[in-house]
Amino acid sequence: MDPLFRAIEETAFSVWLRDSPSLLALPFVLILHTVGLAFLVGTSVALASRTLGVAAAIPLGSLARYRQVLWAGFWLNAASGVALLVAYPTKALTNPLFFWKLALIVAALAALAPVLRSLARGNERDGSPWCKLGAVVSLLCWAASITAGRFLAYTYTRLTVDF
Amino acid sequence: MDELLRVIQMALEDTTLSAYMRRARWAWVICESLHFFGMSLLIGTVGLFDLRLLGFARQVPILVLHRLIPIGIAGFALNLATGFCFLAGTPDQYLFNAAFHVKVALVAIAGLNVLFFYGRVFARLHALPAEAPPPLSAQVAGAVSLTAWVGVMSAGRLLTFFRPPF
Repeated sequence: MDPLFRAIEETAFSVWLRDSPSLLALPFVLILHTVGLAFLVGTSVALASRTLGVAAAIPLGSLARYRQVLWAGFWLNAASGVALLVAYPTKALTNPLFFWKLALIVAALAALAPVLRSLARGNERDGSPWCKLGAVVSLLCWAASITAGRFLAYTYTRLTVDF
Repeated sequence: MDELLRVIQMALEDTTLSAYMRRARWAWVICESLHFFGMSLLIGTVGLFDLRLLGFARQVPILVLHRLIPIGIAGFALNLATGFCFLAGTPDQYLFNAAFHVKVALVAIAGLNVLFFYGRVFARLHALPAEAPPPLSAQVAGAVSLTAWVGVMSAGRLLTFFRPPF
């Protein structure tokens, strides 16, 4: 894989992200990734909490608009995540934990899918047992994916192909 | 001012917590993970409420949505605790860091905005008809809160780029 990593690391965008002293390079991408995380996981927490009976007076269907916030956070992080990957492909892709992080994100969203679907149907009834189980699993997977993401900064064995 | 910060730095470095944060292998990264999760609890409740104050998702009854706020307060408490662990661990990295000063100032602005919201805005929300546009004062409180917290997250993320030589 090294030739591929090297090709990515030699692109102008990758070099700029890594080496530019500008706060608009890596620092800005990291800020986007953090803010996106807060809105993606935060909205998941709110929807999951309501599904589990917290603030049960909120009509479940009324929260449907907040799916836009969740997906905005998701796409912001998909984009900023790809930028971070372009900056340091070797660092991420040689660390097995990176793939755990991705799998946990997929699992968190898949577990939340029944909740999101019931919102889409404008379902005013309380969440089904299936939704409640999904809400719990989703919260656990988000917490685990955040933890995996933080550990990435401490567990990588190679930073770039040449370093 | 620097003199005072030095005194605080040395006092913090003398604590058991400081030694623990520097010695324990995974303490730092566990606290970081908790800090990010606490941030999500805060934004997922206070942030969504701010959006509602700005007029987003008017189908949601505003006072009922407010019942999620205790989750955000728990997240903020978690972040004060984990944040203090970082500060105690390597106080000089924060006390002499412009990004940290900005972050603390933005938390203070968010705090003053909370006082403004409960002092001047909250009572007026009770009289608001369902799905009516929130009053200007509510929109201001929501905008200030949202801006301040996004600023807090941004300044937090910039900490490592402004820290003094390690």
